[in-house]
Amino acid sequence: MRTSRTARALFAGVAIASLLAACGDDSSEGSEGTSGGSETTAATGETSGGGGGGGEAITLAVNPWTGSAVNAYVAQAVIEANLDTTVEIIDIDENATWVGLDDGSIDAVLEVWPSGHAADYETYITGKGSVVDIGKLGPSAKIGWYVPTFVIDEHPELATWEGFKDPELAKLFATAESGDLGQFTMGDPSYVTFDEQIIANLELPLKYVVAGSEAALLTAIDKAIADKQPILLQFWKPHWKQLEVDLTEVKLPDVTDECLASAAAGDGGYACDYAVDELYKAANAGLEEKNAAVFNLLSKLTLTTEQQSEIAGYVDRDGMTPADAAKKWVDANTDVWQAWLG
Amino acid sequence: MSAVSVEALPQQESDEVADARRRKRYQAYGAFLALAIVAVVIAHEVPSWLDLNIQSKAQDAYKWTVNNRQSSPLFRYFLDPITDLLQWMFEVTMNVLEFLRWPGVVALTGAIGWRTGGIRAGLAGAAAMLGVGMIADWDLAMITLAIMLVAVFIALVLGVPLGIWTSRSDRVEQVVRVLLDTAQVLPIFVYFSPVQVLFSIRVPPAIVVTVIYALPPAVRLTNHGLRNVPVVMNEVGQSFGANARQQLFKVQLPVARRSILLGLNQVIMMAFGVVVLASLLGTGDLGQVVLSGLQKQNVGAAAAAGLGIVLLAIALDRITTGERKHRFNRWSAMLPKVPHHVARWIALGTVVVAVALAHAFDWTTFPSWLTVDIATPIDNAVEWVQDNLSDVTQAISDFLVLNVIDPLYRFLLWLPWFFVVVVISFIGFTSKGWRLATGVGLCMILVAAMGTIPGGGGRVALWDIAMDTLSQVLVAIAFSVLLALPLGVLAGRSDRFERFLRPFLDVAQVLPAFVYLIPVVFLFGIGRSAGVVACVIYAVPPCIRLTSLGMREVPVAPREAATSFGATGPQEMRMVQLPLARKSILLGINQTLMMVLATVIIAALIGGGGLGLVAYEATTKPLQKLGQGVAGGLSIVLLAIMLDRITQAWGTSKQGGNQ
Repeated sequence: MRTSRTARALFAGVAIASLLAACGDDSSEGSEGTSGGSETTAATGETSGGGGGGGEAITLAVNPWTGSAVNAYVAQAVIEANLDTTVEIIDIDENATWVGLDDGSIDAVLEVWPSGHAADYETYITGKGSVVDIGKLGPSAKIGWYVPTFVIDEHPELATWEGFKDPELAKLFATAESGDLGQFTMGDPSYVTFDEQIIANLELPLKYVVAGSEAALLTAIDKAIADKQPILLQFWKPHWKQLEVDLTEVKLPDVTDECLASAAAGDGGYACDYAVDELYKAANAGLEEKNAAVFNLLSKLTLTTEQQSEIAGYVDRDGMTPADAAKKWVDANTDVWQAWLG
Repeated sequence: MSAVSVEALPQQESDEVADARRRKRYQAYGAFLALAIVAVVIAHEVPSWLDLNIQSKAQDAYKWTVNNRQSSPLFRYFLDPITDLLQWMFEVTMNVLEFLRWPGVVALTGAIGWRTGGIRAGLAGAAAMLGVGMIADWDLAMITLAIMLVAVFIALVLGVPLGIWTSRSDRVEQVVRVLLDTAQVLPIFVYFSPVQVLFSIRVPPAIVVTVIYALPPAVRLTNHGLRNVPVVMNEVGQSFGANARQQLFKVQLPVARRSILLGLNQVIMMAFGVVVLASLLGTGDLGQVVLSGLQKQNVGAAAAAGLGIVLLAIALDRITTGERKHRFNRWSAMLPKVPHHVARWIALGTVVVAVALAHAFDWTTFPSWLTVDIATPIDNAVEWVQDNLSDVTQAISDFLVLNVIDPLYRFLLWLPWFFVVVVISFIGFTSKGWRLATGVGLCMILVAAMGTIPGGGGRVALWDIAMDTLSQVLVAIAFSVLLALPLGVLAGRSDRFERFLRPFLDVAQVLPAFVYLIPVVFLFGIGRSAGVVACVIYAVPPCIRLTSLGMREVPVAPREAATSFGATGPQEMRMVQLPLARKSILLGINQTLMMVLATVIIAALIGGGGLGLVAYEATTKPLQKLGQGVAGGLSIVLLAIMLDRITQAWGTSKQGGNQ
C-alpha cells in the first residue's frame, strides 16, 4: 500500500514541477517543437486568422517513396529561404494524406499518382471541393509487367506478352502457390491493378498472387535474383530498386481508347498496357487564403524527370538524407526555382 | 479443483439418470445427422438471400462521414473537442518528457520501479530506458512513449469502471465480452480509415486506435479481480456498515488490486503492439523508422527501431509489474534497509538531481558516445541466415503449401457450406451442450451472410475466403501448439530454461511483426506458408508461458505422493503434473488461437491472402472497399469467437459438460 502511495506522490510531484517549468519557458518549447506535434495540428480544419508571410507553418505530406520526399524537401528549402514561412514535413500513409488534405491538417502533397487515386479525386476534388488540383508536377510514371533481365536473355520470346501464351514458358514462373500455372506477383493491394483482367482477357496461363506489401514484393525480387529463379511482377518506374537490380518491362498490347473506356466503366474488359501516370500536386482548398505566396509557389513548382531522378539519386545511390539532397540541388539550381517565385 | 474429482462425479449417478442422459444424447446425435444430410442435399453454395448487406451499409456510412465531417454537429460539438483534448494531452505529456530530458526520464523510470517493485525492478526499468536511447533515436522514442502513456491512461480511465460495471451483472458481462473479443481480433486496418475521418490524422487517431486495441485486458482483469473477491471480505465490510460505495472503494478494489495491476501491465503490452501501424497515420515516431526501414528493405534499421520499441515496453513492464515479483535475492538483501519515508526522498531526490544536471549541463540530446550500432550486426546475421537456410526453408514452405495447407483448404471448400456449419455446431454440442452448439452455429451462418466480393474474374463468396483463412489458421494453431507444449513443459520444470527463454518470449511478443516480414519472405517465399510462419512466431509465446505456469502451479503434494509410490520422473510428469496442469495448458491454446487470428492481417502482407487481405483492403482503398473490409474483418471476429468458445469449453469442464 505504502509504496504505491509514495510512487504516486513522486510521480505527481515531478509531473507538476515539470509542467510548471514547461509552461514557464515557452520560447524553448517552440524551438524544440519539431519533434512533437505542432500546435497547428488542430483537426477541426479551421485555421485561425491566416494571412501573409511569417504566419502559420505549412504542412507538407511525404508518402513512402523517395520521389515524394525529394519534392517536399525541395519545396521546404525554397519556401523557408524565400517566403519567411516554416514548413513542417510529415511522413504519412497515402490514404491518410487525403483525409489530412480534406480537413486542412495537411496543406499540400506534391506527388500524386493519378492511377491509384481516381476515387479520391472524384470525392474530394470534384465532389466536396475541399481539395484542389494545383497542376502537374512534371515527371511521369509508368506501371507495367516486369521480369529480371536474365529471363529475357534466356527466353527472348518473353519480351512481349505473347510469349506468355505458351504454357511451357509460363510454367517457368510456377511456384507452390500457383501450381501448374505461372505465378504473376502483385505487391501492395492499394496500388492500381488491372492485372487480373489482363490475364483473363488475354487468356494467359498465369495465376494472380497478391504479395500484400511493397516490402514483400521487393524481397521476392531479391530472392528470385539470388536463386536465378524467374519472377513476373507488377512494378513501376521511377523506383529506387530499378537502380539496384536489372529488370525489363514486358511489352503488353498498346493502350487504346476502348481499353481506357473499359477501365473507366469498370466492366472487366481491360486488356492492354497501363497508361502513363502524369504525376500531379494537390492542396487543401484553404491554402490560397492561408498563405497565397506559398500557394502560388507550390502551383508553379515543377521538376523534370531528369531533375527529380538526379535528386533521388543523391538519396538512393549516395545515401544522403532527402533534406541534404534537396539543399544540394537547390543551391546549385537557383535559376530553376527562381521561376517558381514569380 | 482437480481433474480427479471431476472425473469421479458421474459414477455417483444412478443408472436411470445415466440412461436418460444417454438417450437424450443419442437423440441429439440423430438431429445433427439429419441436419447434415439436409445440408448435403440442399445447399452447396451459400444462397444469395442470406446476404445481410453489411458491406453496402458500412460503405454508405463511411461515405456519409467523409462528406459531412466538416458540417455535421456530431463533429463540431462532440468529435472535434475529443480530438483537441487528445492532442492537448499528448502535448502536455510531451512537454513533461522534454522538460525531464533523457537523464530525468531514466531516473524517473528507475525511481518508480524502485518504489513499486524493489531495487531490481528499478534498475531493470532504468537500464531498459537507457537502452532505448542507446539503440534507437531517443527523441522519436519519446513521441512513442508520450502516445503510449496517454493511450494507457485513457484505457484505464475507461476500462476500470467498465470492468466494475461488468463485474456487477452477468448480462452486461456477456455483451461486453463480445465487444472486447471484437476489439481484440477485429483487424486494425478495418477501422483505420474510419478513425481518420472521425479524428483526423497524426496523434489523436493514433491514440484512439491504441486505446481500442489495448482496452480489453483492463476491463477483463478488473472484472476478474472483483468477481474473485472472497465472500468473507464482502461480509466483513457489510457487517461494519459500509455502504455500496465504501464497499467498492475500501474493500473490493483494494482486494482486486493485484488483478487490476496485471491488467495495466497487459494494457501496456497490447498498446505497444500497435505502435508501427499507428505511425502510418503520420505520428513521426519510432514506428515510422520501422516502416521506412521496411520500405528500403533495411532490416537492420527497422530491427533497431523495433528493439527500441521492445525496450520501451520492457521498461514500462518492469516498473508496473509491482509487487507481483517481490522476491529478494542475495545481493539486494545485502543493501542497507531504508525506511519508506527516507526512500521516498531518495527517489525524488535522484530524479531532481538528474533533471537539474541535465539542465545545468544542457544535455538536451541523447549523447552519441552512448549509442550502439546494432543495425549492422543484425543485417549481417539476417544475410547469413538468408544465404544459408533459404534452400531448406523454401523446400519446407513448398511442402507445407502443397501437402498441408492447400489440401485442407480444398477440402473445406469442397464441403457444402451448411455441412460445415452443422459439423462445427456438433463440435460445440459435444464440448458443452445446446447453447454452445447454437452459438457457434450462428457464428458460422453469419460468416455466410457476409455476401460476395469481386475477384477471380467474377464474384467470390466471403464464405469461401473464410475457408481459406480457416485452413491457414488451423495449420498455424497446430504448429504453434506442437512447438509450444514441449518448450512450455520444459520451462515449467526447469528454472534455468525458463530464465533463458524469457527474453526471447518478451521480444517475440512485442517486436513489431514488420521487422521480421522481410526475412520470413526471403526464407519461405511469398505465400500462405510465410503467413503461417508469421502467425506462429507471434502466437507461440503465450502458449509457452501458460503451459509453464500451469506446470508450476501444480501443488507439490500429489507430485510427491506419486514419487513416493515409486513413479519415475517422466511417469510423474505424464500421470500427475500434466493432467493437473491441463486447464492452464488449454487456456494457453485458447490464447494461441486468438493471437493467430489477430495475426492473419499481418500474414496478408506477405502473401497469406484470405480474410486478412480483404480486411487490409479496407485501409488501402477505403472509398471503394471499406464495406468489403468490414465484412472480412467481422468474418475474422466470428471465426475467432467460434474457436474461442469451443476451446474455452474444453478448458473449463469437458467431462461434466452436459449437466
